[in-house]
Order: sequence, then structure tokens, then C-alpha cells
Amino acid sequence: MSKKNGTVNGVEKIKVQKSSLTFGQKLWRNRTLILMCVPAIIFFIAFCYAPMPGIYVAFVKYNYRKGIFGSNFIGLKNFEFLATSGKLGMLTKNTILYNIAFILLGNFFAVFVAILLNEIQNKWFKKVSQTMMFLPYFISQVLIGLLVYNLLNYDTGFVNSILKALGTPEEKLFSPYSDPNVWPVLLVVIHLWQSTGYNSVVYFASIMGIDAEIIEAARVDGANAWQKIRYIILPGLRQTVVILLLFAIGGIVKGNFGLFYNIIGTNSLLYSTTDIIETYVYRATMTDFNFSTASAVGLYQSLVGFFMVMIVNFVVKKIDPDYSLF
Amino acid sequence: MAKKDKKIDYDTYDSSARVKLGTSDYVIRGVGYVFVTLYALACIFPFLLIIGTSFTSEAVIRSAGVQLFPRDFTTEAYDMVLKGGAIWKSYLLTILMTGIGTGVGLLIISMTGYALQRKDFVLRNVISFFIYFTSLFQAGLAPYYLLMTQTYHLKDSYFAVLLPLLMSPWLIILMKNFVKSIPFEITESGKIDGAGDMKIFTALILPMLKPALATIGLFLALGYWNEWYQSSLFLSSKVDAYPLQYMLYKVVNEANSLKNSVAAQFVTVTDLPTNSLKMATAVVATGPIVLLYPFVQRYFIGGITVGAVKG
Amino acid sequence: MKKKLLASLLSLTMVAGLAACGNGGNGSGDTSGSGQAEAVDTSEHVVITYMTTGGKPENSATDDMLAELNKILTEKVNAELQIYYIDWTDYLSVYNLTLAQMDGTVDLVGTATDWLDAWPNAKNGAFLELSEDMLKTYAPQTYASVPAENWEYCKYDGDIYLIPEDNYAQWTNHGFSYRLDWAKEAGLADGVKSWEDLTTYFKYVKEAYPDVQPWDSDGTQYATMVGGWISSHSNYVSIDGINSGAMWGGTKDDLYTVYSPYVTDTDSLVEFAKLMKEWDEIGVWKTDVLNNTSSDNREDFRVGKTAAEQHHTQTWTDLCSPGHTNNTIFADDEDAEVGFFYFGEETKNVTALSITHGAMAVSAASKNPERALMVYDLIRNDADCYKLFNYGIEGVQYNVTSDGLRETIADADSIVTNYWWGRNDDLELRDATMNWDTIDKLYKEYDDIKIEYPYGQFIPNVDSISTQIDQINEIHTNYMKQIAYGKYSGTAEEIVAEYQQALKDAGIDDVTAELQKQIDELYK
Repeated sequence: MSKKNGTVNGVEKIKVQKSSLTFGQKLWRNRTLILMCVPAIIFFIAFCYAPMPGIYVAFVKYNYRKGIFGSNFIGLKNFEFLATSGKLGMLTKNTILYNIAFILLGNFFAVFVAILLNEIQNKWFKKVSQTMMFLPYFISQVLIGLLVYNLLNYDTGFVNSILKALGTPEEKLFSPYSDPNVWPVLLVVIHLWQSTGYNSVVYFASIMGIDAEIIEAARVDGANAWQKIRYIILPGLRQTVVILLLFAIGGIVKGNFGLFYNIIGTNSLLYSTTDIIETYVYRATMTDFNFSTASAVGLYQSLVGFFMVMIVNFVVKKIDPDYSLF
Repeated sequence: MAKKDKKIDYDTYDSSARVKLGTSDYVIRGVGYVFVTLYALACIFPFLLIIGTSFTSEAVIRSAGVQLFPRDFTTEAYDMVLKGGAIWKSYLLTILMTGIGTGVGLLIISMTGYALQRKDFVLRNVISFFIYFTSLFQAGLAPYYLLMTQTYHLKDSYFAVLLPLLMSPWLIILMKNFVKSIPFEITESGKIDGAGDMKIFTALILPMLKPALATIGLFLALGYWNEWYQSSLFLSSKVDAYPLQYMLYKVVNEANSLKNSVAAQFVTVTDLPTNSLKMATAVVATGPIVLLYPFVQRYFIGGITVGAVKG
Repeated sequence: MKKKLLASLLSLTMVAGLAACGNGGNGSGDTSGSGQAEAVDTSEHVVITYMTTGGKPENSATDDMLAELNKILTEKVNAELQIYYIDWTDYLSVYNLTLAQMDGTVDLVGTATDWLDAWPNAKNGAFLELSEDMLKTYAPQTYASVPAENWEYCKYDGDIYLIPEDNYAQWTNHGFSYRLDWAKEAGLADGVKSWEDLTTYFKYVKEAYPDVQPWDSDGTQYATMVGGWISSHSNYVSIDGINSGAMWGGTKDDLYTVYSPYVTDTDSLVEFAKLMKEWDEIGVWKTDVLNNTSSDNREDFRVGKTAAEQHHTQTWTDLCSPGHTNNTIFADDEDAEVGFFYFGEETKNVTALSITHGAMAVSAASKNPERALMVYDLIRNDADCYKLFNYGIEGVQYNVTSDGLRETIADADSIVTNYWWGRNDDLELRDATMNWDTIDKLYKEYDDIKIEYPYGQFIPNVDSISTQIDQINEIHTNYMKQIAYGKYSGTAEEIVAEYQQALKDAGIDDVTAELQKQIDELYK
């Protein structure tokens, strides 16, 4: 573990040196590092910060000719329809619960698959299987909706064809499209199926980044495979997990519209368990197209996400500042 | 701290080569082979369905649903996709954008990621937050669209697709995290040798970043390949060639979009894309990118080795 | 050439001015009109971009046609036309974004008050106010052909924003296309004349033709079905463009008392819910109809695999024509006939289409609004331009038969202009493949019973009630999907009561009251 100490000492050394410098001098020393960040800074200013004042559109009655900033200010009117729908609580809850399931199980399986892949030695098998795992990422959500329907529909679905062939009585056939209770599980499974292969790459690469000699030394010292995973690999992934979580939490009230809309569609029998903010807003404003309502909803989601992240980041920083995002 | 300078070839490297395998190893490998095989099969099955259906006649699809083995085999859908040759232009465009975007993006992301993890960089928290903040708050569709078209005049320009995908807060922070695992001694040793920060980055750090570059490059490339959103906003009917996935997006969504719209009650639209056409387009649009992974995988070599430092 | 153009414009302007006088409108118009005409300067060649919904064609037929058309347009008004397609995928968002751009990207904009946001966009400042002088000067033929009272329907706050498609007979009232021959077999000698007849028909089809799905609905017709039921069982006339369910209106006898039958006609709705439950049990549609988005009932109908198609009259005109090559039912079965049961047939309750169902507007950001109008005037009124723009090149896309019908040339790529904003019956060439005898009979029947759309001048101001309307819209889609496909649990009475309560909670009465107030201001 000399490595870690070395790093820490290195930092301390520099800190000691620097403490006597003024802030301006420190900046001057960092001039190359600043320059290295300049392209990215320009990028984020140009494509993310420059349009941001336009969020004002959520507070106006947008008139194309007058432009966003010339339009009439109408306060919180654009937020009203969501707030007074009586469904905001339910929608936010659904959205958050699904996201929590996606985040926790998604990361669990991604880590799981990455670790298993790391243990597998057959090079050919590893390449082929990982390539196959990427495939779902390329299938558009609309086609996934279509395939799921072909698999699960009552009359001609694949599942029921098998059940019928096995002599299942009609009342016991699978009919998910009229049963809201099965969808939380189905949607989570579909999401995991689609994202695990893609997400596991991050972890796989992180495992590859763990110093192989540490692992080897541990094995030579008699650690078994469990111990290796428990004491070396998992701690090595901790930081990646934390970062992923912090990003995911920022979007905790932003739903995966494509997934829900293409699979559930406008089947209102299933809304009690599957309606999320995005799908509700989409349906309600379908005949009343305007940019302001959408912006208002987005702003609400961002604010909730922002506060969640601030809290979580604060907690993480308390525990171990190394893991915090900023 | 003395360690041998050693490179490990991932392809032949076996972490257990010199240790005796125990029961736990066999259990994990067994579970690994079984689980990974099952999951990989679950992943390829729908894709086979898509391929099978793309060769099936529309009449069969409407009455019997999607097909693994095409009944009434036909290549009609592919004839439609390939007709007119627009698809080849799309291929060229997509490949160009993916190549250029990934290269430029990787360079900027890795530079930024390196700078941001340097503990002696006084602005690192400020800039990290500055970047991360954009993942929380977006301006929304209208302001973004107006800025891109009215201020930057990027309507009908491929730059409107290329530029916004160059980087994302997530990729930069991920990169920063990867670089963090390279010990600070390397930077220090560079400094002692009198190298500037840029020199340290290009000569010492970059070569050690292969797995990180491979991962993030893969994500960037997939991002470019799968892109349809910017195209749907900024590439109008005046443009000659569209990115592949945007073509796919249009073909696949047109019918559903229309059916669920107000227009459906009033407008009679014929010649909507058939299911087999959707499937064939999906196969063509996914195309060679599925082979990217095996190519990238070789860079997942354990490139970050502490052993490189002579301490 | 320029002089000649000016002269012809001048003379046309005079005619227009006179016509306007004849209509009793704006006597002062003609002098100022001719004053403007002298200022028409077409020395600079300009490109006019016309925005329409629909996908861009992949073949070059449209470009070839435009090349021909642009020769004429260049000669006459020194301008050329370019088409800007808005793909159906996400069309509302892209269409509105393009308008919001306000940088002259588009000049002529196809729009509609009932389905394409015409009034919201007029209010948004997206469309140019078209003064009568401008119209007289730059679109004289159009100005002369549209009667003064029709211009009234195109005004918001006193300004004209839209040019109506008011000389084009089309019927987009909904109903069911069905197999008349099968209905006769089922004992309905005159065909389907009521919803109950439909039940008989579906039952018969289910038994006699087990391979045929009576109606393979994709689950999106809930709003038209219940709307159709209501017009079939009352004198309800709906107001367009408030929400997709068209949930407010008056009655034929009392047009200006606003109500919502969805709140008042409880018994009728319960009956509807019961009948639809019956249809569901018969198996008219598939069990999972609410998610059946990949079906293509219309194509299946053409080949005899389904027995009914729910859409509007215009679609039926296509389905009932043996000349249409996709309609193989007629070749497979020589007795095949396709009838149409229109909603409102029982009560003779049919409202003609609003004249702004299709309309052309000029973008407020257009750099050449004058020339845009001049181009529009030609594609709407000039026979050569009109035929090119609507049918393609004669001899390539179509031929004219000896009796003046238009015959499509087989294997020719067709053109795509989606020009639904200025068609003109004076210049239309009837399609030879259509079954005109049958179609004309129905049109005649419509003409005898129809009333004109009565709310053309009513442009509701929904600013104060948009929140309620959005919520009502959501509730309506939510419940009607279950009711109209018989998928509700519990009794019909319960579900209708629950639905109506939800509407009331969302403030439907406030909306009705507000609309009443605005109607009173306008009509009383």
C-alpha cells in the first residue's frame, strides 16, 4: 500500500510549497492545466450555458415574433397544469421508484457481469459474448415495444402460444396488457436487459485498471476468489459506482420516455403502475402544443434533481472527499 | 516501491496462472460461463427475430407476428432500403461523423479529465462543478433550438450534429476518475525531469490511458452512431444525406407518431413504412458498428500499471 | 416581359377590386390596390419555400415536376418554389420550431384550424397579417374567388391570417367502411344503417368468416368512436380545435348554448359503454387492442382480412373503388362491395367541414411575402400550375381520358406535394380509378342533410382555461380508451360516473362557462 502513501505525500509536499503563493501565482502555475480545460469550457458555454437564460420561456406566454425575452411574463401559470393535476405526487413517486430500481439493480448487474467476464479466461468466448451484450443497445425503443408485444400479447403472443401448447386453460393464460401489476417487474427486466451490457463496460474497464500485481500478490498470499473480489475488486470499483450514482441521482425525476411510451403506449389500464411524468405530460399537452409547458416541467425535474445531488454530494464529501464530484 | 517494469498482455494474461485454483475459482467461472451465455443469448435472440422478420413478407407479419425463420421468404424490404442509393451516402456520413467526432472528443475529454484530477490544480473543483452543473439543468428545447439556428446558424449543417455530441459531463468526469488511478508520481517524475504539463500529459499519461480511452472512445462512437435527436431538429428536408440512425428513427416512428396524433383523424396517409421495412432498416442501420467492440477490446489491456514507475 | 406582367396584374387587380365591391365589402380597396400593384417589382429572382407536413419523397419525380413548374413560375412572377417537408415523426414539434425560428426559412405555410395549430400560431405572431390590399394586389384571383364572408372566418382580431381552402368538396366526417356484400348476407338488405346494425354485422362476420378479424383496430380510434356515437344519438355539433375529443359544442337547434355532451348525456354514454363491452366480447377487435399499434387494418381491409375500417369518408372513397390496385377484394370476390356507415346517419346529423380545415398562411418572417402570395395565387388558380403541383407532369404521372378523367400511369413514381391548403374544384381532374357513381350518391346525401360549420368565426381564447383543458384531455383519453374498447372493469354505469366525476374535478364546468361567455360576446 505504499502507492497510496506516496500519492498523499506527494500532494502534501506540493501543498506545503504552495501555501506561500498567492491565488494569482497559483493560477499562473496552473496556466497549462487551465489551457487544457479551455476547449471543454468553451464547449459547455456554447452549448449548455448560452441557451440557459432561455429557461425564462417557462415563465412567459411565448410569442414567436416577440422572442422569448420579449414575450409577456405570466409567472407560474405554465407550472399550474402539473401542480393542479392532482397527479404530481403519484407521477413523481412512480418516476423516482422506477429510477431507483433501474439505478440499483442496473449497477448491481453491471458490476456482476463485469466481474464474471473478468474471471472468464477464454478470449474468444469473452469477445463474442460481450459483442452480443451490446446488441440490445442498438435496438430502437419502438422495435423493442413491438417485440415485447409480439412476445406477450394475449391472442397470438409467443408466451401464450407455448402455454396453449402445454394445455393451459384459457383463464390462466398470461395477459399482461390488462394487468398493471406485472409491469414494474417487466419494465425493470426489459431495462436491465437493454442496458446491462453497455453499462458493464465501464466496470469492466475499471477492473482492468486495477493493478494486476496487487491481485496476483494477494493470490500468492493465499486469498481465494471470493476474497479477491471482496477485498480488491469491489473496493477498486467503489469510486466508479459513486460517480455513476451521483449522475443518476441528478436525473432521478427524469423518466425514460422512450421505454415507457413504446411499451405501455396509451393503454390506460396500465397507468396506475406505469405512468411517469414524461408520459403524462406528453398525453396532456398533445393537442396543446407549446414550448413553455415542456420547459416548466423540465425545470421542475431539474430542481428536484439538483437538491438531491447537493445533499448526496455533501454526505459523500463528509465521508470521503475523494469520492465527491465537486 | 520498487517494481519491475512490466506490460501485461491481456489476451494471454491469466491472473491465476501462477496460483493454484481453488473451488471458489471453479464456482465463479462456472457461474460466469452459464450466466454470461444465457444473458448473451437473451441479447441476440431479439436481434435474430428482427433479422428473420426483415426477410418475411408483410402479409405474414400482420397475421402471424414477427418470425425467427422467415416464412414466405422475401428480400423486398431490403430492395426498398437500398433503392435509390441514399443509404450509402448515409453510411459514409455516419462513418465520417463517428470517426471525426470520436477522435476530437477523445482528445478534449482526456485533456480535461487529466487537468481536473490534478490535486495541485486550484480550479479543479470550480471547473468540475461548472461542467457537472450542465447535466442537471438544461435550457429546454426552444431556447436551445433558437440558439443553434438563429445565433450559430447551424440549421441544415452537419456541425449541428457533430459538435453537441463531442463530450458530455458524464464522460469527462468518468475520464477524470480513470486518470486518478494513475499515481501522482508519474506527473511528479515528469516535473522533476523538467517537462511541462502538456508534455507530461502527452508523453507520460496518454500512453497509460488505453483502457480509459478505449472505453470512452467506445461510448463516444456509439453515441455518434446512434444519434438521431440532433438530426431530427437541425437537418431539414433540404439536406441530401441523413445519419443512418435518423433514417431508421423516421422509418420506425412515422406510423406510430401519426396514429397517435391529432392529424390521424383528418389526414389519409398511405405508404407508411411496413413492419418488414422497419426491421430491414434496423438491420442495415446497425450494420458494422456491432463489430466495433471486438476491435476496441484489445485496448482494455491492463495499461495502468504502477510498475511503470520506478520509485 | 415585366411590363406585360404588370399590365396583367393590374387588370386582375381591377377585377378583384370590382369583385370585392360586388360582395359589398371595402369599396376603397380597389384604388389603393392598384396603387400597390405598380410597386410590384419582380426584377429579382427569388425562391419561395413552402412548408408542408409529410415525409420527403425518395424518388426524383417531385423534383422533375418542380423543375417544370418553376419554369412557369419564373416566367410569370420570376420566382421558384421549393418544398420544405416536415416529417410525420414529431411533426408538431418540428413544425412549430421551424416557425419559431423566424428567420425567413419558410414563406408559405400549410396550416389548419382543426389539426395544425392555425390559431395558436396566428396568436403567436408566426403568421403575417394579410391586408386586403396585399391579397388584392398579389393574390388577385384568390382574393376574387373567396367570398367576403369566408374571409371573415380567417380573421383574428380583425386581421386576415389564413387563406382558406374553401372551394374544394371533401368530407372528412367519420364512420365505418364495411363489406356491403357481407352485410347483405347478414340480413341487412340496405346495409348498415345504425350502430345496432354494426353489431349484427360483426356477429355475422365472426361466425361466417372465422379467418377474418372483424376490425383489427390499433386502439387509437376511441375519441372518434364516442364522438360518432354522440352525433348518432343527438343533435350535437362540436366546436373544432379546442381539444382532440371535440368535447364542447351546441346543438343543431340551439347552436350558441355551449355544453359538453360528455357531461350531460349520461344515459347515452352508458349505452355506448355497454355496446362496446358487447363488441369486445364478440371479439370485434383483438384482446390486447389497446397496445395493438403494429396492426394495419386498412391494408388488411383491402385484401379481405378485416371486415371494417373506421375512418372518414375520404378514406372510404378510396376503399370502395375497384380501380385502386391495392383493393384486391374486388378481384377476389366479384360480389364485393364496400359500404359506408357515417356517424350521425341515424339522426341526419352531419356538419360540413370547416373551410379552414386546410389553409395557407404566410410566415411573418418571410423575406418575400408579396412573391409568396403571387406564387400561391398561381398554384391555386392557374390550370397548368395547379395540375403540375397536384398531379405531376401530364404524360409522366398521369393522362387525361377522353371523358376528362385523370388516369394514373402505372409504375410511374408519384409526386409528393401534400398540397392540402388551396385545392380548387374548378381545376380538379377526377381520378379515373375512383368509383364516382357510388361516391357521388353519398355526397348528394350529405349535401341534402348537412349544415355548414357554424363556429367558423369563433376563435376561443383558452389562455385562462388551458390548464383545465389539458387535464380534461388527459382524462378523456384515459377513460375513453377503456370505455370505447369495452376494457373497463365494473359496470358501465360506474365507469361513466367515474369519468364524469373526473371531468368535473378537472373543471370542465369552468371551461364550458368560459366558452359560453366568449360565444355570447361573439354571436349575441
